[in-house]
Amino acid sequence: MNLQGMDIDVAVIGAGPAGMAAAIKAREKGAENVLIIERDTRLGGLLHQCIHNGFGLLYFGENLTGPEYSHRFTEKLLDTGARALLETMVLRISGEKEITAVNRRDGLFTIKPKSIVLAMGCRERSRGNINLHGTRPAGVLTAGTAQRLVNIEGFLPGKKIVILGTGDIGMIMARRLTLEGAEVKAAVEILPYAGGLIRNEVQCLHDFKIPVFLQHTVTKIYGEKRVRAVDIAALDANNNPIPETKRTIECDTLLLSVGLIPENELSTAAGIKLDPVTGGAVVNEARQTNVEGIFAGGNVLHVHDLVDNVSWESEIAGEYAARFAGGKKPPAGQITLKAGRNIRYVLPQIISGKNNVDLYLRVREPQKKVIIKMGGIQVGKTIPGVKPSSMIKLDLSAEDQQKFKRNEIVIDCLTKGD
Amino acid sequence: MAAYETEVLIIGGGIAGTTIARELSKYKTDAMLVEKEMDFGQGITKSSSTIVNQGCNVVTFRPEYHNSRLVWAGMPLMEPLCKELQVPYKKIGSLTLFKNRAGMRRPNKLLSRFDEWSKKYLPHAKPLQLIDNDTLHNWEPNISKDFIGAVYDPNIAITDPVRLTIALAENAGQNGIGIMPDTKVLGIATGTEKFVVQTNKGTIKSRYIINAAGEYVVKIAREINADDFVLYPVKSYMAVLDKKVGNLLAHMVTSEEHGTVNPSVHGNLFFGISPGSQRLGKIHDHATDKIIADAALEHARKLVPAISKKDIINSWVGFIMYRNFEMGWHECSVGVSRWVPRFINASIGFPGICAAPAAAQEVIDLLAQEGLQLAQNPDFNPNRKAAPIFHELSDDEKRQLIASDRRYGQIICRCETVTEGEIVEAIKNGARSLDGVKFRCRPGMGRCQGGFCGPKVTRILARELGISPEEVTKKGDGSHYALYKSKELLEAE
Ligand SMILES: Cc1cc2nc3c(=O)[nH]c(=O)nc-3n(C[C@H](O)[C@H](O)[C@H](O)COP(=O)(O)OP(=O)(O)OC[C@H]3O[C@@H](n4cnc5c(N)ncnc54)[C@H](O)[C@@H]3O)c2cc1C
Ligand SMILES: Cc1cc2nc3c(=O)[nH]c(=O)nc-3n(C[C@H](O)[C@H](O)[C@H](O)COP(=O)(O)OP(=O)(O)OC[C@H]3O[C@@H](n4cnc5c(N)ncnc54)[C@H](O)[C@@H]3O)c2cc1C
Repeated sequence: MNLQGMDIDVAVIGAGPAGMAAAIKAREKGAENVLIIERDTRLGGLLHQCIHNGFGLLYFGENLTGPEYSHRFTEKLLDTGARALLETMVLRISGEKEITAVNRRDGLFTIKPKSIVLAMGCRERSRGNINLHGTRPAGVLTAGTAQRLVNIEGFLPGKKIVILGTGDIGMIMARRLTLEGAEVKAAVEILPYAGGLIRNEVQCLHDFKIPVFLQHTVTKIYGEKRVRAVDIAALDANNNPIPETKRTIECDTLLLSVGLIPENELSTAAGIKLDPVTGGAVVNEARQTNVEGIFAGGNVLHVHDLVDNVSWESEIAGEYAARFAGGKKPPAGQITLKAGRNIRYVLPQIISGKNNVDLYLRVREPQKKVIIKMGGIQVGKTIPGVKPSSMIKLDLSAEDQQKFKRNEIVIDCLTKGD
Repeated sequence: MAAYETEVLIIGGGIAGTTIARELSKYKTDAMLVEKEMDFGQGITKSSSTIVNQGCNVVTFRPEYHNSRLVWAGMPLMEPLCKELQVPYKKIGSLTLFKNRAGMRRPNKLLSRFDEWSKKYLPHAKPLQLIDNDTLHNWEPNISKDFIGAVYDPNIAITDPVRLTIALAENAGQNGIGIMPDTKVLGIATGTEKFVVQTNKGTIKSRYIINAAGEYVVKIAREINADDFVLYPVKSYMAVLDKKVGNLLAHMVTSEEHGTVNPSVHGNLFFGISPGSQRLGKIHDHATDKIIADAALEHARKLVPAISKKDIINSWVGFIMYRNFEMGWHECSVGVSRWVPRFINASIGFPGICAAPAAAQEVIDLLAQEGLQLAQNPDFNPNRKAAPIFHELSDDEKRQLIASDRRYGQIICRCETVTEGEIVEAIKNGARSLDGVKFRCRPGMGRCQGGFCGPKVTRILARELGISPEEVTKKGDGSHYALYKSKELLEAE
């Protein structure tokens, strides 16, 4: 195909679960020319390296591995007749929706689709981001890089492992590396509870008897060429290490599982406004950003804990992107949603007040028996327990929204009876 | 083990050793440069804040100090040198900030002192200027409102010292100097006419030795009792910020109490605690710690309050080698050992980047003085062609480059937009490790610090060098990227 100046309705950037779901939906909703651009050699995004199961329980009602989940979408995507451009990196998006991309075959080219869906996913927080002290040897890597090394490249980073952070990828890697014959000597977490999903905490840490150190952190890395040991220490109420609790653990590898950051360098360059809390774009219920015709879905928008939600959310983006390409603008935003008590963020941040919408919420701290109030009015039923690592999904009907009296609505998470 | 013979052996491939090697390649001599690391500039040079100094360091400048004289003599040499070697060099100017009227009286003194001294030592320098409050905050809206004025020095520039060091080594090699990375000096003995130097690659006999081992200068000199000086290593801390906040500043800014914040040629910001205000470090301990890191951040935020911990993408420490720390003044040690003839120590001090070219010229004079015959090398070619840098090209140039070699269309590092073509070229030019590739063309230098491209660069290195991926290292022996193959540990059981 001749790419330069090609006629495209919807261009999707990134072919992970988000991008694939968006592209499929865009085709289903009538967009003629849908192009999905992916820098990797195949469709599927991060799912290729997620060879464990637990995917699709909600979306398919089945327990699938990452590659299986991905495969279902790949098949469907190819059936819809969307076009995929692999091994192609998007370098720039302009506010006028011009995409500049590069690959070996076509070189550098520019296209101007009618609408765009951003689905670039996220990246892991690295050593520098968390100010980890000590020397700078080989053997300090993120859990996701280790996941790629073990599951795709066929290498083991080391055999005596300490993991800092109990994000989901870290816990999953603790199990994987144990199964591969390595010894995971400690999983160290700053918070008083594990960071990721409860099922991962049980199945990956407890079932494999991995020593867990809560309210601890790594205070020093030793080794000039390769990691030789790390110091860990308990933290006081102000999160400062308590020197007397310091212990040295010999290891050859330190894995970091300390959070994910939505990959939005392209977005900011296009003039898209980001939410400082999510690290993703500010969007309305159509998942449209402040730049008309540019939509976003999946981990580029906010970090999800379940891929099933990634797919659903991106279908919304895909649907509205197709409509936009057909000349129909999404409903105008009327109401701004604000995070209130024990709410870290809410997505979408803007709603029209006219449609049923699914809200995604995250809390700041664990809390039991809670109700959610919006503008003082309870929405949904009592929830037995909430945790920052588990996203809350809330159906908000158009009727509920009629009751809102203002155009700025504060959302609170309250203990029932308070 | 191999045995080598040469006239001049340079120990250490930092900015000092490589400028000396390159200067020496202008003459017809038999010379070698050995560097213990897999690549050049991986010692103190890689930890620097990349500033091509002078001017405002009238504060520290003293004509009686050797380092001061070298720095000022080196200033006019830097730009042409970077041009010849196609290394980035950018004049940014510096602002030395002042908080109050009392502080503002000092600048007047600095200005007149600069005028007086620059006539003698820096005839081509532009004069310093006093900048008032409005101009200051107009130029630099992100610096703290606590500052009410500054001395502006238009002469200050920035460069990439590691690229410069690598370019110098490459150019010296092209002009006939034997360049040997991954070669560590283990011991030195006096022979009848030549020194006998033991290395991990064999014995090297040489009539002259230039000791440019940076942090290890004293250790090397002690091998042969040529350590007629003492050096005080001062541990300094540096941090680099994400490019997305790179536009917080246009100039280098500094104040006496709060260290320095400066842009880099690649669009990041650096900050660090300025030398001298630091404690002495335990030598060879390259660990950062919370105390020094927190202090540096606090100081940097006093200069530029918008600097935030979450934008730090990497940090490190380096040693500044002071000759006379107690006096609070910088001094270096470049000269023939008083006790061992034909043995030249070259510890260039701080600042060192722009002291290096002048120090190199002095070292040549010292070699001549010690009896080395120096005839011009008629074939000397001062120019080196740098490998293309994809992301710095215009769209049209990018298209042309990809058309000439398809590998420039394959992006490997997403954060810094580095292509496979650039990585292959870096390996062709001598990179042998992940750090070697990283310092030459930047994959892994960005915000994700190699999380994404590490496995890919490892594969490319293995393929190009004809080794297996488990043999690929971060920085030489003992620093392997992945230690085992999958299932290897299970089979071993
Ligand atoms: C290292 C890592 C490991 C993970 N492991 C797990 C796990 O074990 N279990 C789990 O449930 N979740 C895991 N996750 C979370 C995972 O991101 C989500 O579960 C899910 O893959 C998100 O889907 P997505 O489509 O939003 O993003 P992704 O799957 O990341 O897809 C984004 C796609 O966009 C492409 N892309 C990005 N920028 C560009 C560009 N400029 N040009 C072209 N293409 C581009 C990428 O190559 C990628 O294929 C992991 C995340 C990371 C970062
Ligand atoms: C934090 C910091 C910031 C600085 N900022 C600036 C600045 O902005 N501007 C400026 O001008 N200066 C700055 N400096 C000073 C400057 O970086 C140094 O003066 C300069 O880099 C020293 O170079 P060198 O070649 O002497 O040492 P090095 O770069 O250390 O080179 C010595 C080399 O010798 C090798 N070596 C050691 N032992 C052996 C052996 N046994 N066998 C073989 N090889 C060996 C080492 O591996 C090393 O590569 C800074 C210094 C620090 C620490």
